[in-house]
Amino acid sequence: MSLRILRQTLYWQRVRLIVVCLVATGWGALIPTFYTTFQDLFANLIEGGFPENFLNFGSGSLFTLPGSITLGFEHPIGIGLVAIFAIGAAANAVAGEREQGTLEVLLARPLSRRRFYASVGAGVKIAVAFVLAFLLLGQLISILLLGVDDEVNIAYFPLVWVVGLLMWGAFAAFALAASVSFDRRAPALALSLAYLGVNYFFEILGTFLPDLEWTQEYSLFHHFNPGEILTGNLDPVDIVIFAVALVLPIIWALVVFPRRDLAAPA
Amino acid sequence: MSEWAAAVNQPAIHSEHLTKHYGGGLHRPGHRGGPIRALTDVSLDVEAGEIFGFLGPNGAGKSTMIRTLLGFLHPTSGSATVLGLDIEADSVALRRRVGYLPGGMAVYGSLTGHQSLEYYADLQQREPVRRAELTERLQLPDADLRRKVRDYSRGMRQKLGVIQALQHDPELAILDEPTEGLDPLMQQAFYEILDDLREAGRTIFMSSHYLSEVERVCNRVAIIRAGHLMALQHVDELLARRKRRVTLRWRGAAPDLDGVPGIGDLVASRDRITATLSGDVAPFVRAVASPSLVDLLIEPARLEEVFFEYYAGEDGDLREETA
Repeated sequence: MSLRILRQTLYWQRVRLIVVCLVATGWGALIPTFYTTFQDLFANLIEGGFPENFLNFGSGSLFTLPGSITLGFEHPIGIGLVAIFAIGAAANAVAGEREQGTLEVLLARPLSRRRFYASVGAGVKIAVAFVLAFLLLGQLISILLLGVDDEVNIAYFPLVWVVGLLMWGAFAAFALAASVSFDRRAPALALSLAYLGVNYFFEILGTFLPDLEWTQEYSLFHHFNPGEILTGNLDPVDIVIFAVALVLPIIWALVVFPRRDLAAPA
Repeated sequence: MSEWAAAVNQPAIHSEHLTKHYGGGLHRPGHRGGPIRALTDVSLDVEAGEIFGFLGPNGAGKSTMIRTLLGFLHPTSGSATVLGLDIEADSVALRRRVGYLPGGMAVYGSLTGHQSLEYYADLQQREPVRRAELTERLQLPDADLRRKVRDYSRGMRQKLGVIQALQHDPELAILDEPTEGLDPLMQQAFYEILDDLREAGRTIFMSSHYLSEVERVCNRVAIIRAGHLMALQHVDELLARRKRRVTLRWRGAAPDLDGVPGIGDLVASRDRITATLSGDVAPFVRAVASPSLVDLLIEPARLEEVFFEYYAGEDGDLREETA
């Protein structure tokens, strides 16, 4: 890995990263607040005959604090915040340099393609790690301020961060694999968003249509349940699934990128 | 000759039957309309310490050759070494000793000129020992280097490109259209830099559209057409075989040019003769030397004529029909 490339990657993302981390903190803080404020209202809605599955969101729900925390990660806002880096920055990392013609100036240096990939990949994953950390930090602050810390084991917060990083690392690895496979950022980004969208669709579909609940098993989102982790119920199979989803795109990128012909940019 | 070349006594660039054909892969150039034979069976040596010109029109294979040497493209067949290192197996090691200016170099608009040069120097892992000299000679002062590159003119970006390629004093510089966008004054400054690098034993491999430029700075030249090497000679030798255009005016008796070797295409009028002259000029000069001669003009042979000779009647189309 080239520390110089890593440093430059983070330098270019610095303003966006600060803004997204601040927003993630706010979003994280909002979720427990939402739960404590409206839990009675939602309970009354259910008692009044409102379909319960419409108040669930993927593996999250609004009836418990762990469920709310999970919902915070599965809500489009939470996903969007992390995806800015895990999908956007990752898909752009190589294909973007290639499209604008700067990749060849970098690769004219004593820098192998694998080292370049590893460096920009590390930059992306560090950014993702920061966003997840600030999202969790917001949740933690909010939980402590609201005095509901007895409903979850806050000692497991670092574990949620690690597992979250594994899942989003898998998405980022896919986007990076797409990025090294195309000469233009648009197809790399489109493919990465499609992968994210399919995962999300499978997770949400099962929520609203109980007959299709089996589709959730095929979604990475379904295997990341912060609420369960915070109550000490981490399933080791989920870790294996994330590890496989993380490693396969990395292998693809490490094999394909060095073998590609990088013709002169059009 | 540079130290390494003197030590190992081998060419700076050596290619043997280097071939690059595109096509087949979904994301590869040429996947529509059949394979492209961008480079076919190119064998050449670039000697250490020379300035080598690589000539050809757009699409002839110049950039493909350069990109193959630098490891951006993988050869379909054949082999090559750069500074004694295999382009496939030792690609990273050789790039440490090479400076590269891509054609129409892209820049990071959000960086200043100075930040860009620092970034490239850090990645090169070599001290930018020539940077100060180059910025001065190419007139890119500190005030300009402190500005964002997005505000640079095309010429300033090209200067930045030249500096980043040469700032670490590489043993071999590979320059793709190096004077594109430079004004005539800066072109002249650039030629002088190349002359100095040659004197310092550095090797320059440059492609160019400007034949006068190649004629001015290069020791040897290769002409490539549709991926095939058409000519590889010293510029002087190439020009020596060409025909010069001569014009002479006289007063009184016309000089007798019959039997003068190399004279052709004679057109005579009352007091003027135009003709072409190839080979040695001495017999011609002896034949016309008389008190009646008023004026004599011998136009130098131009590389342009050589170039057009190789391209006459060719459309330069690289694409082949699919089987």
